Amino acid sequence: MVLEATMICIDNSEWMRNGDYSPNRFQALADAVNLICGAKTQSNPENTVGILTMAGKGVRVLVTPTSDLGKILACMHGLEIGGEMNLAAGIQVAQLALKHRQNKKQQQRIIVFAGSPVKYDKKVLEMIGRKLKKNSVALDVVNFGEDDEGKAEKLEALVAALNTNDSSHIIHIPPGPNALSDVLISTPIFTGDGEGGSGFAAAAAAAAAGGVSGYDFGVDPNLDPELALALRVSMEEERARQEAAAKKAAEEAGNQEKGENQSTSQDVAMAENVNAGTSEPESKATDLMDDENALLQQALAMSMDDSSSNVATRDTDMSEAASEDQDLALALQLSVQDSTNDQSNPTDMSKLLADQSFVSSILASLPGVDPNDPSVKDLLASMQGQSEKKDEDNDKEQKEDKK
Amino acid sequence: MAAESAFAIPKGQVDLMDFVDWSGVECLNQSGSNTIVNALKQGYREDEGLNLVSDADEQLLIYIPFNQVIKLHSIVIKGPEEEGPKTVKLFSNKEHMGFSNVNDYPPSDTVVLSEDNLKGKPVTLKYVKFQNVRSVTIFIEDNQHDGETTNVQKIVLYGSTVETTDMKGLKKIEDH
Repeated sequence: MVLEATMICIDNSEWMRNGDYSPNRFQALADAVNLICGAKTQSNPENTVGILTMAGKGVRVLVTPTSDLGKILACMHGLEIGGEMNLAAGIQVAQLALKHRQNKKQQQRIIVFAGSPVKYDKKVLEMIGRKLKKNSVALDVVNFGEDDEGKAEKLEALVAALNTNDSSHIIHIPPGPNALSDVLISTPIFTGDGEGGSGFAAAAAAAAAGGVSGYDFGVDPNLDPELALALRVSMEEERARQEAAAKKAAEEAGNQEKGENQSTSQDVAMAENVNAGTSEPESKATDLMDDENALLQQALAMSMDDSSSNVATRDTDMSEAASEDQDLALALQLSVQDSTNDQSNPTDMSKLLADQSFVSSILASLPGVDPNDPSVKDLLASMQGQSEKKDEDNDKEQKEDKK
Repeated sequence: MAAESAFAIPKGQVDLMDFVDWSGVECLNQSGSNTIVNALKQGYREDEGLNLVSDADEQLLIYIPFNQVIKLHSIVIKGPEEEGPKTVKLFSNKEHMGFSNVNDYPPSDTVVLSEDNLKGKPVTLKYVKFQNVRSVTIFIEDNQHDGETTNVQKIVLYGSTVETTDMKGLKKIEDH
């Protein structure tokens, strides 16, 4: 929470047309400036930021220090590239602008973006540095682009001349795939001195660390923290639910295998089957709904090929997949559930029909059928009396007849 | 006895620290840990160990605004024998001064501090030049031994207040 007035000196010389930073040096610089302006104005509500250009037709102050972020960002549009950078003049104009700041409590800071060669002598820069130090101005230098005529050395000397208490920094950013702003995020220029930086800086850094996707769920947690929290909580609940379902499915699959192998423990198997069977219509419905989901289909087909005996190995596969691809993992989970249900159904259909409560619940769910109807009850009773080897097709026909 | 009376507060004058607008006090070229507060604030300035020390070179520029109009009579600047300030220029009602424009205006008064002054003897200023003062800027140009650092132990301003209304003391009357 440093209270600061900052002047940002932009290099808009011809050198900035170079494309060695994506998309070009000037665009990269503009992005970085936007980022820093945001960080500075958010770290303290009374912070002010101003912008000036060092090239073109001489040094030009675009915005005097203001806390209005919109004003700052607006001035960055339509900037023209041209001329050569005048570093000494730029820094001195910036110092003048800072000197006349409204709030004398603000610390003074100049941030210089230097992308073109520095024509000034090292001695001149050191003199300017001492002058800044005397006026209690801190200076950050972002050195990128050209590196001729000992530019890095000169800028180092400039910063060294005024550095007190480690308040001034210089960073060298070589051309590369990383955007200028991404590199800046992790530097003390962006995070501020000590204190781990502002909340904005931390959030931006976290977003950058998380990858290019930026914010979770496409919502900026800074703009709407409550929404972001709600989304995160519901995401976690959903994840927990899916995990529990997967666990249950695996258990059921294991139990069913047991039931199939040991026909003597029929009661247990039956109870399990009731569970599996009741969920069958729902899962079938979801199958139809997700018909267009090619990924799911593929996963289903794969899991159908597998025999239910290797459920355990498949589970480990799934956990591996989960770490790689969430979508795939989800599809796999669903398919495991489905396949265990599907596999159990044809073989155990006769057992299922033997269970009165299950059949009556099915009948109740059918339209136009009253399970309490005496004729239906009679039929059910007769069905139970029949042998368990009865063909499932016949049963289905009977049911259809009833309809 | 004579020495003691020489160090005494001038008759009819008061310490002006109560009227300083602390939020506006500014000091240029102070080193990071030895700030103006050490020399100006009551309690701190009485402590010999807490000093105001210059940073890049021997010069110091201190801007002190007041929250009401005052008359400045005399000043006490205490410092060590060697690193203590020597030439001190005072400007009244000059805002936004920097080292670059200290020579742009004629100082209201220039004081060359003697050894006695550094031990706490008040320096009487040109009273007529400081009759309507809202802020005072103290520019310490060099020190006793022309060294790179200047050390100031204590700064006291003596004077009187002009009978004006302190606008900051006013409070909004609530509607009935």
